[in-house]
Amino acid sequence: MWDEQLRGRRLRFHLCGINNQNFVMCDEETGSWWQQVTGEAFAGPLRGSRLRLVFTDEVAFAIWRREHPGGRVLRPASPAWRSWSADWEAKIGRLPVVAGVPGADGRGPLPPRTVVLGLELRGAARAYPVESLRRQGAIVDDVGGQGVVILVGDDGRSLRAFESTLDGRRVPFFVKLRSSPGPAGSPAAAPSAAAVPASTAQPAPLASADPAAPRRWLDGASGSEWDFQGRAVAGPWRGRQLVPLPAGKDYWFDWWTYHPRTTVYLAAGGGAGDGG
Amino acid sequence: MPTEPTSPRYWPWAVALLAAVAVAVAVVWIPVWTLRPSVPQSAAAMARAYALRRIAPAATLVALGFALALAWRLWRSTRWAGRALAVAALLPVAAAVWFSRQNHFEWLFPPLRHPGYAPAAAASFVEPGDMVLAVQVQGEAVAYPVRQVAFHHVVEDVVGGTPLVVTY
Repeated sequence: MWDEQLRGRRLRFHLCGINNQNFVMCDEETGSWWQQVTGEAFAGPLRGSRLRLVFTDEVAFAIWRREHPGGRVLRPASPAWRSWSADWEAKIGRLPVVAGVPGADGRGPLPPRTVVLGLELRGAARAYPVESLRRQGAIVDDVGGQGVVILVGDDGRSLRAFESTLDGRRVPFFVKLRSSPGPAGSPAAAPSAAAVPASTAQPAPLASADPAAPRRWLDGASGSEWDFQGRAVAGPWRGRQLVPLPAGKDYWFDWWTYHPRTTVYLAAGGGAGDGG
Repeated sequence: MPTEPTSPRYWPWAVALLAAVAVAVAVVWIPVWTLRPSVPQSAAAMARAYALRRIAPAATLVALGFALALAWRLWRSTRWAGRALAVAALLPVAAAVWFSRQNHFEWLFPPLRHPGYAPAAAASFVEPGDMVLAVQVQGEAVAYPVRQVAFHHVVEDVVGGTPLVVTY
């Protein structure tokens, strides 16, 4: 998501083409061509200009609505959008990557259409295969010398990244597990909680998507409890807010195209492999 | 002297007319061919496609002007065969003039310039598990269902006073 203002002027954008599977925008004002994924103009009078990235989350609607009950939601403009089938992502995921597109030749540690969460910090880039994050609840890592933590939401698909540094020190994070999230008021819902290291955390049962019982995390420094927005909601650090980091989902081949020096987070080894 | 289109006297006009057709069609067709989703694009091909898209509206008009003049010349000097050629040649040039003013990518993916909204509590058209792109500016929170954004590709909006282009 990009700020349309460039040096005090508002630009109006259109879809104008495709460049190695990533779409090209053009602006009405100058006709320059912009790469959607980078926000950079690569042809035309504004060539070399960059749009300002506006921080965006990609999360499940239930999670967003819980966090923003007073928010507004884009309404379908016409029935035509339903022609865009509900399983379009799965369909696109099965498409072969066009031969000759950078990153499509099968080299590297991941299949080309692996969906990754991409982080870019201090000149370093790292790709996290989304499927491998799904099985975890929190990933503590280092990108470009910056401590980061990726929180995995209730649904296993909603992901957020934050700086993991608080008061100058890196803080580990753990999923706060519930033994039985059962319905509110159920006598079986014993309020026992346990913290497990992030790397061994199991996915919470789907029942925890219940708005009454959102997933929480504990930090290893103060034992404070954190929510999915990166806010400490209980404990000594209550009221503190982690600094959110821009992180976007992309196909591995596309991420690699624009971050040729990226590394890849490999959950099995618990480390980062060389993507080049 | 018979006035056949194949007559040596008229073939230069016919060749010039066909050249005008070729130029007009090439100017619009090369970018379409380059910007196919099913092929890779090199930087040089993108630069060429951009340059041709930029000049296409004017270039096709110039080609149409030439083509009209040449067709008129052939029409006056030839019988049915030459006249048929003249008229037939004008059609692709006119089509190129029209196409150069179209954005064929938006035929399939219509942009959303004036989005409408529902309050979060009333958005029954979104399933709880559907992914949304969420943004918050100056305390104003907006969710864009990914499936809708993917359909439009480009959604323009103003959130918290900031004009945004939402893409997926």
